[in-house]
Amino acid sequence: MEDKKSCTGPLMIALQYNDLFDLDSVSTSINTDALPKGRAFTFIKAVQTVNERLLEKNKTESLLFEVILVAKECSEEIKLKIVESVKHYGLEIGKFFFCKKEELINTLQSNKVKLFLSTDKNDVNEALHSGIPAALLYDQADDHVLNQLKVIFSGDVIGFSEDSFDSLSDFGFSETQIETFKAAKICMKEFAILIGEMRRKFGQENSPLCTCVLTSWGSRNVCASALKTLREWGLDADVAFCLAGAPCNPILAVVKPHILWDGGFHNMRDLSTQS
Amino acid sequence: MSEINQTQVASVVKKEATSEEIDWAAAKAHFENLKSTKPRPPKPKYAVTIAVSSRTLFDMVAERKIFEEEGLEKYVQHQQDHENEPLTPGPALPFVKALMTVNERLRNLYPESEELFDIVLMTNNHAQVGVRLMNSINHYDLSIERFCMTGGQSPIGYLKAYMTNLYLSRDCKKVQEAIEEGIAAAIMFKPDMETQLSETQLRVAFDGDAVLFSDESEIIVKQHGLDTFFAHEKQHENKPLAQGPLKCFLEALGKLQKKFYAKNERLNCPIRTFLVTARSAASSGARVLKTLRSWGLEIDEALFLAGAPKGPLLQKIRPHIFFDDQMFHIEGAKEMGTISAHVPYGIGQKYNKGKLIEPEKQQK
Repeated sequence: MEDKKSCTGPLMIALQYNDLFDLDSVSTSINTDALPKGRAFTFIKAVQTVNERLLEKNKTESLLFEVILVAKECSEEIKLKIVESVKHYGLEIGKFFFCKKEELINTLQSNKVKLFLSTDKNDVNEALHSGIPAALLYDQADDHVLNQLKVIFSGDVIGFSEDSFDSLSDFGFSETQIETFKAAKICMKEFAILIGEMRRKFGQENSPLCTCVLTSWGSRNVCASALKTLREWGLDADVAFCLAGAPCNPILAVVKPHILWDGGFHNMRDLSTQS
Repeated sequence: MSEINQTQVASVVKKEATSEEIDWAAAKAHFENLKSTKPRPPKPKYAVTIAVSSRTLFDMVAERKIFEEEGLEKYVQHQQDHENEPLTPGPALPFVKALMTVNERLRNLYPESEELFDIVLMTNNHAQVGVRLMNSINHYDLSIERFCMTGGQSPIGYLKAYMTNLYLSRDCKKVQEAIEEGIAAAIMFKPDMETQLSETQLRVAFDGDAVLFSDESEIIVKQHGLDTFFAHEKQHENKPLAQGPLKCFLEALGKLQKKFYAKNERLNCPIRTFLVTARSAASSGARVLKTLRSWGLEIDEALFLAGAPKGPLLQKIRPHIFFDDQMFHIEGAKEMGTISAHVPYGIGQKYNKGKLIEPEKQQK
């Protein structure tokens, strides 16, 4: 459908089918109804809104979001149901990948996915360890705003100095974890550059894309450093929160982001994914 | 609730508590590692959190003009272009510095305590403007480590998330919303002339009716006149007045004052509170004092003006902030150099200098 030959687009995001559809509430009997909506539904609607607005500005725009759906270990029945349900809801899914559990990482790598989103933090962690950019798909309430995609970047991951990263070992983070955080910063950069380009096509107001920086632990200088670094990467963040240790769940409950990119910090903090 | 649900809830609560503890511990470790003399911010649930807007902290009159005349894009660009030029102080800056002084004294006496003032910058500015704000905060060496820059959205939804005890802004609508949400809030005004303020003691002055207390008595004055008011107050002398929007803030100040008293520092306490009321001591003062007593609250100085103008007296007191519900008093205080904050609550909003304002002219 869209021209994919441009060097900048599309921005490929991978989702898992069990986030897009809610399989727990499906009855075992075969029926012709579509699968019920899952936790990633509002995300995909918001992504589609961004694409629509981008195409409004430029019909031949190539820097668009492309969502691919990954499904591990499912029966032929379910595979069919997935494809049908996607059609039923009018979702724009670029590709489907049905693979085995062990093949997930390879599938993501070979498709040059710019971001793998999941509500399962173990999957996110595994992907990060393998060098795939991955972030938490934040659990959404049903009545969430559909016409704006909200992305949160961790100010700590972007703004921490080398010293600050290394001092995390005193606090109990392992060497591997610290290396994961540093690697996350590099992954974030690529994604941020593309999002920054997309964001620039809209003005300050009425943008379908909203970017936030959330600094949980760092001082204000860390927050300022994160904002300036993102600017260097071409992304002018819209919103900033600096918490210096204050609880972040109440703030996340107000922001209701779709994507929470914090390099695996959430594994340590055991983030509750219920809104 | 069924047993299963209770366990689920308990486990979610436990998870949240763990994540909160981790965030707190990590931030603490980070600040300690900074090896600077900067104090780290207190734990919000024990602290008295004051949220200030960017226009109360700094003077942004010129920048505001650009926003209003040339629009948002030009405004943000202007702020970015002048990012490394610190902004000049706004009406809340002396108040913030006084809070920092109290914190220093508290940390000396109670090094392990988290019962301190916490200051949050709460603004609906875009994060890009935030860089200039942070540079300005650095310039004045203010202890502000917590921010909320909402990029155009109303910050009111975040006040509770940041556990705000007092919200100061220059925007009437936002302050009204905050008060409706049950958060103490006031609109700050810059005084017409500068006054020398104490650098060792935080001085806070409050009006009584419709600020510390509800507007129940104010209603009687406005609708039935002074004589009825006096009779009513005498009759109900022993019945405590209902609380007003700023009662909780006075309570929070009182709690911190008691920490100094406990260490024998009453004479040298860096917090002093004043009641500046138009009531007269003889006819309607007793009820006020008895109400405060019934709440277990103390006020250091109670000044009954019996209707005399507040400006000259406030000029002598020199508070870092003076809260009043009536614009008439705010104007009077402002003219004589007092930093005033309007509390848009109660029946006083419908009147100007004792006369009922036409409905169309009432503030939104």
